[in-house]
Amino acid sequence: MREVYVAGIGITSFSRLEYPLAEIAAYPAMLALRDAGLKAVDQVYVANMGSARINNQTALGSAVVDTLGLTPTGAERIENGPASGASAVKQGFLGVAAGMYEAVLVTGCERMREVNNLEATDFVATMTHPLAEYIYGVTLPAHAAMFTRLYMERYGVTARHLAMVAVKNHANAMLNPFAHLHQPITVEGILDSPEAFTNNPYVAEPLRFFDCCPVSDGGAAVILASREKMAELGKPLIRLAGIGQATDTLAVFERPDPTDLLAVRRSAASAFAMAGLTPGDVHVAELHDAFTILEIVESEEAGFFPKGEGHLALEKGATALGGPLPINPSGGLKGKGHPVGATGVGQVHEIVTQLRGDAGERQVAGAKVGFTCNFGGFGNNVISMVFVREE
Amino acid sequence: MERQIHAYACRRCGALHYPFRMVCRECGENGPHEFDPVPLPKEGTLLTFTFVHNLPAEYEVARLGLGVVELSNGLRMLGQLDIADPKLGMKVVGEVEVVRREAYARRYGMVFRAA
Amino acid sequence: MGVDLEQILRPIDSPLAPYPPKFMTVASGETLVIRQVDRDEIPTLLLHVEPLLHVERDFYDVVAARVYAELLAHYRYRMQDEYVLVGQIGGHLAAIVNGRTVSPRQGMSLHTLALRRGLRIGAHCFAAKMEYHIDILGQDEVLIVAESPIGFRRWMIEYQLEKRFETPHELGGVPSYCLTRALFDRARSSLVVGRRPVPPELLAQAQAGILPPTDPPRPPADLLAATRAMYDSTGTALLLQRGRQELEAGHA
Ligand SMILES: CC(C)(COP(=O)(O)OP(=O)(O)OC[C@H]1O[C@@H](n2cnc3c(N)ncnc32)[C@H](O)[C@@H]1OP(=O)(O)O)[C@@H](O)C(=O)NCCC(=O)NCCS
Ligand SMILES: [Zn+2]
Repeated sequence: MREVYVAGIGITSFSRLEYPLAEIAAYPAMLALRDAGLKAVDQVYVANMGSARINNQTALGSAVVDTLGLTPTGAERIENGPASGASAVKQGFLGVAAGMYEAVLVTGCERMREVNNLEATDFVATMTHPLAEYIYGVTLPAHAAMFTRLYMERYGVTARHLAMVAVKNHANAMLNPFAHLHQPITVEGILDSPEAFTNNPYVAEPLRFFDCCPVSDGGAAVILASREKMAELGKPLIRLAGIGQATDTLAVFERPDPTDLLAVRRSAASAFAMAGLTPGDVHVAELHDAFTILEIVESEEAGFFPKGEGHLALEKGATALGGPLPINPSGGLKGKGHPVGATGVGQVHEIVTQLRGDAGERQVAGAKVGFTCNFGGFGNNVISMVFVREE
Repeated sequence: MERQIHAYACRRCGALHYPFRMVCRECGENGPHEFDPVPLPKEGTLLTFTFVHNLPAEYEVARLGLGVVELSNGLRMLGQLDIADPKLGMKVVGEVEVVRREAYARRYGMVFRAA
Repeated sequence: MGVDLEQILRPIDSPLAPYPPKFMTVASGETLVIRQVDRDEIPTLLLHVEPLLHVERDFYDVVAARVYAELLAHYRYRMQDEYVLVGQIGGHLAAIVNGRTVSPRQGMSLHTLALRRGLRIGAHCFAAKMEYHIDILGQDEVLIVAESPIGFRRWMIEYQLEKRFETPHELGGVPSYCLTRALFDRARSSLVVGRRPVPPELLAQAQAGILPPTDPPRPPADLLAATRAMYDSTGTALLLQRGRQELEAGHA
């Protein structure tokens, strides 16, 4: 297998975008091409979850490659739920690693705000088991809520820990101009004041409004290239050193230990094995905090902290900007936003920005190794990646 | 007639599956559809639950109770809860009722009440 | 002796009990004060409503235009029985809500204009308005409409409002929804919050003057952005990144 590098990156605001979906994919793609100093690539991968359902558009690959004026380059859309982004990056990686392509464009996009929140909630719920979950009215917040209740019971995680994740990620998002939410919040305001529970109502008990990511539009893109191509481009050498993917049962209740996220554990372990690194080597991580509990649990399952102790590390500030392992300096899904198909690519965008030393006020000093975890379904399809800056 | 939800028993190794899958995850030896349907028991223990406040449009209630129940034969399932104040570990008993209406279709599923 | 035409044109307001100010902590940890404003303060409000006429997202333009007209008409005595409440954070304007009484028993909610978003400030001020009609003025019901989908979800669904479609609402003549006393009592514990009395320094700060909103919704930064990306407040990421890259190129 050849080595694969990130040659260029681009992103839109994650917020509410009022232009067609293909353009939400094309803007960041143009930025990534310009960043890499390229006019053309050998293949285009478009990550997206909901175009057919929410935007009434199929065959998005063809639309995006044409919008970019890149025909006759090959293009395809990759859908893997909220892990579509990382899936597409993985496909791009394979194309270059196999020697079939020298440089490829991976662009993720989603336009969920075209519909109202009730429809968006239902759309997201379609990733659950159709007969054993969906028909009951299960939503993703509902899954996360039932999981949270068990985690609280077993490991002593409290609403305060969850609020601390939200406060941290909102604060990080303040430093990210592309983040959806630019609103600092405090534990006082969402948990302790007499008005807190009106400010922060239940979405699915025990999870509240500020425990959930917002529904966002957005796009993010990366260019992946071979070492030979990188030599021509003269960009910093950020290598995609490890990728791991694992699945788990579609129906969440079938898992033997309902507080495990085995697909996170397994995907992270294979990503680290492939990279020849360990969790201790990581300087900065972007985890899939669609719900505050997930940041805590993924930080354990990825191997950064022992099982059941993620919330203790959080308490000590270990995961804050400036702590020993900053998690979600971009604001995470909580603060930066969660346009489902773009999220996985957006995570890569942030890690590359960090490893290049371009993150400005939210820069993690001296970051050389970065980790991403893109979590599809409720933990039934997870992709982890390890990135290394080479000198 | 009392409505049932079925689990599926592998004809090779006897492992019970709910929900349905085409190949046995335990032995992997059976051919497609080599399963026998077995009605799920209706009594069990509540493992976890939530009340969902932010529901898809077709639900006209302010909040909906959902829970995971460990049934008396050890299988687990998700169902709706018709319980005002659920407690972890409480005994529940289910009944198959309409759990969702989509356009003209009515979907049946398990609704659990305190035993 | 000429007839004093102004005296004929000017409506005679029914006396309304004043709204007792209250305060609360919002998600950011800051303190929101909700209080009634008098006529003298209206021109300041107009100043801050005007820029929103050009913000299309979430129907800010429609709402701002109507609020502007209602405030101005109130100020110049061309509207009867109107009241205006504001939400302020550190003196800065965060929301304006207004309404009027139709009869002693019935109120009409006019507008809710949030100038700071994402903190449920609009929701708190809307609740205060309902509290004014039902608890302070002792009315039986309030007629309501929503002009934006966000408003619809907040008011119609969270309060489970009754349909009163046979009564056209003064805003655009569309069918009304209705908050009855019973519905309000049901929502009271979860949606209506706030503490009284407001500590004197806090109230004094709010009354000292309405400061400009700190982060109001703004029209897109760029004309291209205006047509291509109404909601992208960064004026499309493209422009932002282009600026940065040009800056970097300049340094190199
Ligand atoms: C939490 C949730 C129910 C809130 O929805 P809502 O009350 O309809 O909120 P709105 O979309 O009307 O947002 C109003 C404002 O509140 C803020 N906001 C929205 N969601 C927020 C959140 N989760 N946290 C903080 N602020 C939020 C935003 O500032 C938004 O303003 P914008 O319109 O400029 O973006 C919704 O965001 C949600 O369903 N999240 C989960 C999404 C999900 O499951 N994703 C898939 C996971 S894999
Ligand atoms: Zn078997």
